[in-house]
Amino acid sequence: MIGKRDVQIWFRCNWRLVNMEERVSAVNTPANVPMTRRKSYGRSCMENPSLFWQTPGHLTTLGHRVPTSRGAARSCNVISKVDPEQIALLMKHEWKLAYVTPLYRFQHARLKSYSKHLTAFIVAERQQGVAIEVGTEAGIKVTVSTLQGIAENEDDAETVFIQIHSKPMFGADALKPVWRGWLTCVNGDHEYIKSLPPDFVSLPLFCSSGSEPLTALVKSWFERTFDCNFGPLFLNSTTLNWLAALWTGCHPDSNIRFLKLSWTMPTQPSLDIMYTVNPQDAWELWNSIHSEDGADDRIHIDEVQQFMNGLETHLFRHFKIYLSAGTLMKVSTSLGSAHHDGKIKIGSSDYMGTLLTLLTECALLRTPV
Amino acid sequence: MANSSNLPDLASSELSEASSGALNNRSLRVAEHLRKKAENKPFELALKYLSNVQEGTVVRGNNELEKNLVVVETVAFRQGLPPDAISQLLDLALSLRAGGVTCLRILKFLIPASVVPQEAIVRSVSWLCVGKMNINAQVLFLRWVLTVFDLIDCKDRLRSIYGFIFSFVTEENLCPFACHLLYLLTMKEHVQPYRVRKLMDIQAKMGRQPFLMQLLAVYKVFRPELVTLSVPSRMRAGFKNYNSTWKAALSAVQKKNRPEAMADLSLSLELKGKSTSRKRKLHHLEVPGLSSAFDTSSDSKVFRMQELQSFAQLLQNIHNIELPAQMGSLLGSSLALHYLDCVQDESAFLRLNFWLGHSLQEEFLLCPEDGGSDSLSEASAFLTTILSSQQFLQEGFLSTESFLYKFLSVWDGSLLRSQILGLLSHIPPMSSNYIKTLVFEPLIQLYFTSNVFFKCSVIECLNSMLLRWLTCHFVNRLEDCADLSVNTNTTATMNLSGFVDTVTELVSFVGRLATEGLRLENCHILLLNHTLNFYETVCDMLVKYELPLVIMPPAGVFYPALFATDSLTVDRLGYIMYRYRKNLTLAKKQEQQNGQTFHISRATYQDFNKQLVVMVSCLWNSKSFSPGTSSEIDEHLLIQSKVPKYRCCFDLVHHPAFFKYAIEFHQKCWPERTCVDLASIKVGRYWSWYVEFLFCQGFDGLNYFIQVNTGQSSSSSSS
Repeated sequence: MIGKRDVQIWFRCNWRLVNMEERVSAVNTPANVPMTRRKSYGRSCMENPSLFWQTPGHLTTLGHRVPTSRGAARSCNVISKVDPEQIALLMKHEWKLAYVTPLYRFQHARLKSYSKHLTAFIVAERQQGVAIEVGTEAGIKVTVSTLQGIAENEDDAETVFIQIHSKPMFGADALKPVWRGWLTCVNGDHEYIKSLPPDFVSLPLFCSSGSEPLTALVKSWFERTFDCNFGPLFLNSTTLNWLAALWTGCHPDSNIRFLKLSWTMPTQPSLDIMYTVNPQDAWELWNSIHSEDGADDRIHIDEVQQFMNGLETHLFRHFKIYLSAGTLMKVSTSLGSAHHDGKIKIGSSDYMGTLLTLLTECALLRTPV
Repeated sequence: MANSSNLPDLASSELSEASSGALNNRSLRVAEHLRKKAENKPFELALKYLSNVQEGTVVRGNNELEKNLVVVETVAFRQGLPPDAISQLLDLALSLRAGGVTCLRILKFLIPASVVPQEAIVRSVSWLCVGKMNINAQVLFLRWVLTVFDLIDCKDRLRSIYGFIFSFVTEENLCPFACHLLYLLTMKEHVQPYRVRKLMDIQAKMGRQPFLMQLLAVYKVFRPELVTLSVPSRMRAGFKNYNSTWKAALSAVQKKNRPEAMADLSLSLELKGKSTSRKRKLHHLEVPGLSSAFDTSSDSKVFRMQELQSFAQLLQNIHNIELPAQMGSLLGSSLALHYLDCVQDESAFLRLNFWLGHSLQEEFLLCPEDGGSDSLSEASAFLTTILSSQQFLQEGFLSTESFLYKFLSVWDGSLLRSQILGLLSHIPPMSSNYIKTLVFEPLIQLYFTSNVFFKCSVIECLNSMLLRWLTCHFVNRLEDCADLSVNTNTTATMNLSGFVDTVTELVSFVGRLATEGLRLENCHILLLNHTLNFYETVCDMLVKYELPLVIMPPAGVFYPALFATDSLTVDRLGYIMYRYRKNLTLAKKQEQQNGQTFHISRATYQDFNKQLVVMVSCLWNSKSFSPGTSSEIDEHLLIQSKVPKYRCCFDLVHHPAFFKYAIEFHQKCWPERTCVDLASIKVGRYWSWYVEFLFCQGFDGLNYFIQVNTGQSSSSSSS
């Protein structure tokens, strides 16, 4: 590719950290005020705006509060809870992420009927102007099912898995899977979910894999049926930094094999930098920053920032490139990968929970109200 | 028979009555009446003859039949046919007693004068089922039914033979017309799985036909769980009109008979829903179409939003209207907004807010790179829709509000300015430190870095925000007074002192904006006027809105207005000071009456008095900048300025705003004088004449101000 240079570095060195300042104590976010909603389309006159807008200092574009610390990644034997075939399916594909506003009157007990309607809807949309009787045989087969065991918290709604198969016109009865997607919620914000009226189901994270038009159709059906909305979920550098640190921290328990980071620099022509770190080195760096303090192993955002600074400083010493001027595009280890565009791949079922918790949180932060 | 001829008769007599008003015309009218009666005689006879035509009558060369047909035909085209005649003629025609040709001929002149009895249609459908008629006659008959559909007196019996009519869809030639008729008749109970299946078969045979699609679309409205359909945007035309044969005659007859019973001749019904098709990848700026979810309640009494056509229907069904599948679709129609105003369902508002918040966020906060010019017009249309909905509901949406707080900090102040500021003026009051961080801080940065027009719109926006708050406060007060016993949502209401704090914050914020803005923009006249608009609201808060708060304008607003070069500004300042006086007087009176400690501080009274003294001594007493007033200026400085007679340079005669009037007055008083001596105006009765002259120019504000403050007896500062 003309105009693109890839720098690949394999490095070992002694860590000398800049910015090893005193660890800043966690900024305590104010205790959450239970969110109340009024019988009104607007905020009831003379009541103060809800907590989302009142935390200066940590406002994102959307004005939300971003957590400053989270628990370290912990291995969790998902295989024991979830059907291994399903797990294999989740790990096989790369998923495109989207966020979803809460579904109105979604019932897990009615998935059969949803399959029928979704089938009819897709067929009708494909053949504009032809009416489709619901429940008739069509060229496609849609199955909507629950994926038991992904949810970790009792407030989390069960994950819903949708698969679309196309039926061959002639002969063989083998169905060909053409599209799959799932709606999930793992360790979703307790208070937010509690604050929703009971006829809403919050499944904020939508992962899909398959042709774009089918994704659009499925989204459109959900939007029309459950009065929800889908929006693309991009992963910002903070999220990717978190993943890099969380995954690196897993190295002693489960070999991460490599830590690959890629940046895009704002140069003309654009410069992509692929930065591969030996897992042991990465872990040593992380270990020098993060000290495990007993049972409640929490990681602070400052530690994550220091970790990334350490990696960036090293590159600067060798190549005189400030990585912080560019955008972190991708993070990958053998446990999984995540791309800035909102694409993920799950590499290990044991650490799936950590990844999904983080992504659920990102998705919930996008929820508009 | 006599009965049957009654109607056209009556109508014509009414007509003649209307045309002739005078009394001596009466005999003429009676004669006319008799003549008409006589004229009707042959019609009755002809009708009688026709209804007695037996099967097997020879048609060809039958002069008597021909003659009678002509008589009836003439009457039909001139006056229309009464209901009885219609049913007799329909019977004659469709039974084919007088042959196929006559049948077609009769159908063509079957123009109803008033209504069509449904029995006649029901009987005709049964003739149709016999199947003797040729296909052309059947088509013509159905076309006729569609044309006169709105004139059928009652449709319940017709609905009960829905199944028979449905059987016509299998006939290829009849199908389009049968579908249209069914479309008009369909109720929820008619939509049955076997009918859906039948229509599917026909669709498989005939391909996608607009009439089938329309009928199925209605089926989808009633039973979305049975059938689904996506109507392509270019095929949304609805049904064709089949009324060409009768249109002209029918409308002529109806115009003549009863204008109010006019049938809507454009029977083509369009599906409500998306107005235009948008070729846009990101569809989040589209108000979704009305549709119902497939798992809606099976209760047949439920009324769907899509069926809603008129306000009357809304009122009749308001207790069992079902909300649409997507709440956002309510913003698309004004009828739906009326309903939204009555909705009490918290989930419904949450759904609306999720959708709206998502749309705004995706368009303005997350995808700014997708900002082409055409999408900008779309965005502006979208915001305008929200704005007009909010204006209609007189309340802002929660999601718009939270969007605005986020958007203000990234806004450049020019993108969709009028809409954004319009939405901003809808935000409800909140405690003063929130409004500072969420609204004022981002706004002040934009204000000082933008041009004068933006400054004006900001002040205007804050003025309407204040007006809304005050109105809201006033209405709440009234409601509180109305039911003191039911005090349920005390927690939801900000207490009075909190509200006063917020309003104080807003007013002092605008005071700062205006002071600095006027200085930066050299006392731009437009900005000054918007500022005075704002203070016109502020000065009347106690009298008009019962809010115990009086805040005086800062010096940075007061003096530019007082020394403005245009008379209107000074006049408005006069009006504002007059209203301040009224409010403060009322406050004082309330204080004395109730004996309670009132909230208006001494300082406010003192401020008012100072400004009043300055104003009176400038305009009236010709003692500008004199010692003792707040506008005192050092004598040496005034001498240095080399302005002659600086004490009186801002009185009503010499004030630059009124200079022109003084000259004019001078010319009128002393037309012979060649050198102008304005000082002579101030002498004796000329002064009061001059003041009178000024008031005649329409300076009402000044008039009030001077009357109240400088009445002969009262001293200048009386409060």
